[in-house]
Amino acid sequence: MVTLLISVLIISAIAAALALLLVIAEYFFANYGECTVTINKEKKIKVEGGASLLSTLSSQKIFIPSACGGKGTCGLCKLKVLDGAGPLLPTEEPFLDKDEIKANVRMACQVKVRQDLKIEIPEELFNIKEYNCKCEEIRDLTHDMKLFRFKLVEPSEVKYIPGQYMQFQAPEYEKSKEEVYRAYSIASDPAKKDIIDFVIRLVPGGICTTYCFNYLKKGDDAKMNGPYGHFKLTDTDKEMVWIAGGSGIAPFISILYQMKNTNNQRKATFYFGANQVKELALVDEMKQFEKDLPNFKFVPVISRPEENESWDGEKGLVIDAVTRNNKDLSNAEGYLCGSPGLIDASVKTLTGLGMEEEKIFYDKFA
Amino acid sequence: MKESPQSKKLDEMLRSSKLAAGGFMGHDSRSVYEIIDNDLAIISESGYTKEQVAARMHEITNKAIELLGNWEEIDEKLLARVDEAKGSLVCPWPHSGRYAKRVTYVKSIETDETIQWSDLNIHFIEEHGFFEGKGAYFRIEPKELIKIIF
Repeated sequence: MVTLLISVLIISAIAAALALLLVIAEYFFANYGECTVTINKEKKIKVEGGASLLSTLSSQKIFIPSACGGKGTCGLCKLKVLDGAGPLLPTEEPFLDKDEIKANVRMACQVKVRQDLKIEIPEELFNIKEYNCKCEEIRDLTHDMKLFRFKLVEPSEVKYIPGQYMQFQAPEYEKSKEEVYRAYSIASDPAKKDIIDFVIRLVPGGICTTYCFNYLKKGDDAKMNGPYGHFKLTDTDKEMVWIAGGSGIAPFISILYQMKNTNNQRKATFYFGANQVKELALVDEMKQFEKDLPNFKFVPVISRPEENESWDGEKGLVIDAVTRNNKDLSNAEGYLCGSPGLIDASVKTLTGLGMEEEKIFYDKFA
Repeated sequence: MKESPQSKKLDEMLRSSKLAAGGFMGHDSRSVYEIIDNDLAIISESGYTKEQVAARMHEITNKAIELLGNWEEIDEKLLARVDEAKGSLVCPWPHSGRYAKRVTYVKSIETDETIQWSDLNIHFIEEHGFFEGKGAYFRIEPKELIKIIF
């Protein structure tokens, strides 16, 4: 029995040593040389092999959305690799469904460039840039929400569609030994091309929000890339119902600036849910938008006003206020931003009031 | 007890800040398996199993999700609310699985005592019996949890 145990241990030790040797050898000696990455059958780029596809593309200024900075934990950096990626890795499987696997979708952070690759990525990703900026202002909005303003330095201007988001980089700091990226909706006036505002809610234990709330200071350098996303106003003149809660207010601020800048007269009612009056953010700004945009109405909805709070506005769940104030939304569009629970409940409410599901647009926190 | 390479790697992952600010072990110097054994012993002494505890946590979270971020009574004993953030978390144990960045806050109507947990906490308890290390942001004290939720 002892002999058997010793034999197993020796074999395990030899296997582990060989595996370690392979890793070390690959690190020091593997030279994949120059590889060609063919993008969308047209664009060919010559790159040095050996790094992940995500960082290789990033070094060529092609930014693929990634919220974890290439650690294989967010599942956002999906793209099609038609040739040269090798077998699917166990680290990718949890993030890919059967259809994606069949369509050669891979996670760019897990695919290593070892030979020539053929990939497909959406054309709009070619417009994504990395921005160096400075934190210009940090403003308390509620007990757990702040507005962060960044002035772009290089490039000094950004063009985005209101409703889109950027990926902000939290650098290494006391609570995180690695840089991470997190997605935040742009909350600024698109006419101010050198400014990006974020409305961020503190996530307990969150790496990036902890950095922003407790470590980032006015005047600090920062990095972000983008813009990303497809959440935007349609070109119709249909009445709109907007529903959001918490930091879900962010994209609507940018959209309101856009409407003001373009004198957009569409009717829009913004139902914004909060637990208590003190959790309402940017109320003065919303009142100013009501003055600037005669067909815009802001409807804050408070779930549980405190006993000493005087509140004569809408009470209860935000979706109940939508139901109380609307009878027929069959000719309207819905715009939503918030948690999956809020989005799902809002879609149910709006379709129940006659809105077509394809006329409901949302930015889900998922 | 000697550590296997797998448990050493797991310990490193749980102590790192790769998945959550400050990691999952806090300032706890015990091994992950010591923490699990100690906490499961408390659960057992209280007359419950980790599966029963996780099932009750699931039940509370699912009721609170319907409240869309607001505090409401979910039964005659508890108030609850959930907050959700963009993205998901993966379990540091070597298996597949992603969990919403959702935090459930619970308050006892009778005693005003509060407790919070993430979706990943529920998974940790249900599958691994792990309540996180002392000092970790989402460390749950088993005794407090049982007192409030049952």
